[in-house]
Amino acid sequence: MINKYTIKKFFISIITHIFLMTVAMSCLFPLFWMLRCALMTNETVFVDKSIIPSQMNFGNFITAWVEGGFGIYFLNSIIYTASVVFGIVIIASLAGYAFSRLRFPGKNLFFYMFIAALMIPLPGSFVPLVVLMNKLGWANTRYGYILCMINVGLSMSILLFKTFFDKMSPDLEDAARIDGCGRLGIWWHVALPLARPAIAVVVIFNSLNVWNEYILANLLLNDKSLMPLQRGLMVFQGSHSVDYPLLMSGLAIAVVPIVVVYLVMQKHIIKGLSSGITVG
Amino acid sequence: MKRVLSLFLCCFLILSIGCGKKKKDSNTITIWHWMTDRHKTFESLAQKYEEQTGIKVQIDLYAPSDVFTHKIIASAQARVLPDIYGILDKKKVFASFIENGFVADLTEEFKKNDSEWEKAIFPKALDVNRFKEGNIYNIRPGIYGEPLDVTNIQMLYNRKLLEKIGVKTPPVTFEDFINIAESLKRIGISSLVSGWGELWMIECFASNYAFNIMGEKKVMDTFKGEVPYTDPDWIKVFSIFKDLADRGILVEGVVTKPNKFAEQDFALERAAFAFNGSWCVNVYNDMNPDLEYGAMLPPSINPKLPMRIWGGAGSSFVVNQDSTNKDKAIAFLKWITNKEQQSYLAKETKNLPSNRQALSDIPKILSEFARVMDYTTYPSIWEYNEAALVSEKFNRGIQSIIIGEKTPQEVAEEVQAVKQKELEKAKRKRK
Repeated sequence: MINKYTIKKFFISIITHIFLMTVAMSCLFPLFWMLRCALMTNETVFVDKSIIPSQMNFGNFITAWVEGGFGIYFLNSIIYTASVVFGIVIIASLAGYAFSRLRFPGKNLFFYMFIAALMIPLPGSFVPLVVLMNKLGWANTRYGYILCMINVGLSMSILLFKTFFDKMSPDLEDAARIDGCGRLGIWWHVALPLARPAIAVVVIFNSLNVWNEYILANLLLNDKSLMPLQRGLMVFQGSHSVDYPLLMSGLAIAVVPIVVVYLVMQKHIIKGLSSGITVG
Repeated sequence: MKRVLSLFLCCFLILSIGCGKKKKDSNTITIWHWMTDRHKTFESLAQKYEEQTGIKVQIDLYAPSDVFTHKIIASAQARVLPDIYGILDKKKVFASFIENGFVADLTEEFKKNDSEWEKAIFPKALDVNRFKEGNIYNIRPGIYGEPLDVTNIQMLYNRKLLEKIGVKTPPVTFEDFINIAESLKRIGISSLVSGWGELWMIECFASNYAFNIMGEKKVMDTFKGEVPYTDPDWIKVFSIFKDLADRGILVEGVVTKPNKFAEQDFALERAAFAFNGSWCVNVYNDMNPDLEYGAMLPPSINPKLPMRIWGGAGSSFVVNQDSTNKDKAIAFLKWITNKEQQSYLAKETKNLPSNRQALSDIPKILSEFARVMDYTTYPSIWEYNEAALVSEKFNRGIQSIIIGEKTPQEVAEEVQAVKQKELEKAKRKRK
């Protein structure tokens, strides 16, 4: 029997679904538009108003890959993203654990210094970083860029890990200590495995950051062979004109790995962001 | 986990090996630039230069232009600038680079052999890189950069659309222009499009007519504060926009259009006239290669005074004062701006050459732009510049006139009020 409550629930559900579908559409539409333009030619991209292009030009993806020199840039971006994210996870989790669990002089001062670093926008640190890397002789090297990017992502990640470890039960540490673990052992065997949701959040945030980073790479690196993927996309943007189909094809190629990372990490990210996190 | 960690560290070390700082080769000149669309042409010229002279030219691209500017500033502070580079910032920044010894003075090179190099280049283009005697930056007078190409901003007309109303030659006077625009309107064709959503383009158009109506001296006197914006000549300048808007000559939404969208309108034949820079040749070619169009000076209102348009050096290169390859760098700049290389650059990149001798050898539309280079002027070479707040009020005021929000008289009074405040502020500062 249909009662007032069922009808109300039905309408609320419909409104909720319409709202969510609208939000989903607004998120997906730019991606769809990117793919649409990627399949057009320079002549039709401004003229053809149809949603689905009348002629599909799949060759754009190959042209973009070849002309943009995506092969080496793609490899570089993978190296940079993997190294930076790995470095950040290790250093930030160690630092976060130390700030949360250890007692040492100046603990709060150091922690607040890291947090204060969050307030400095990346462009504000450009000149000092370039000067420093040149003095060290690390400008125009992969490791120089990787170290700078690790530095950029540390503050936020340390904050995330510290917040996570603050909620970890001390009993777990005591149990590990009874089993013979030292401080590093507890971090490695107990804290880190429990911090998977926090790791997922750190991985996805920093992956996105490194994958899309271009300005610092441009400042620090001179050799074309060391540049990340974003450099390839610049080829299609002239000073006054833009090759939209090839640019969109390049963007479509560039977006794939990051979408894959997000899909793989999705479950953990939602957990990490939404749970009240009672660890252990 | 330990294995993964070790494996990762090994990979990282292996990949990082061999990426150390390379030693500077004395036979290689390094150039940093931001011109994506000219990169391939530069590379082919570099190859040709190496074949001819045995000197390797390393061309490095850092785009877009704002990222390039960051790179140059950061590299200057780290003292790692290349042999040749560009400075895209304001003249004040250019001056500070010279002051700090990052830019070589090229005057002597330009004057060699009876000024052979200087004479070959458009003087208006050289002016952008020139510091005159008694300049406000206290820079030693001289020429500090070499323009690679030149640019100017004119009006474009669509030949096919004009032929529809039986017009074969573009209008020369403003009256002719209005008549043609009204004929076009009768057959449903919009007349003038421009990116007047970008304030500098409005300023450019208005400044063209200000020079034509009252002459350079009176414009400068206004900037100095000796002539008010409520002067009848300035009201005439504001009234041009009211006239264009009232007669329906402007494309709808022109005051919110960025130039990129305005370029689409003209390229796709939605408007018969456009006000745009010489770079449009490249843009229109990409959007509609079959577009039949020509360039013309904005139609004149006052036949007694010349129409002045904005223009000058497009992109310029400077030589690093600290470079160990300074002589080689200068020799390369001389080579790339000679007639043969400039013709090649113009043909390949569709930009106006900075070398006048190359004009005979370039596509027709480019020569239409280039032949009026002598009419060009640019704010950075004026004796006086208007205060930023006054310019903004001036440009926004014109936007209000176009949308019918204000009259020319109202805008003139508002601009003058801001000008007055700025003059008083300057007076207080001097005290």
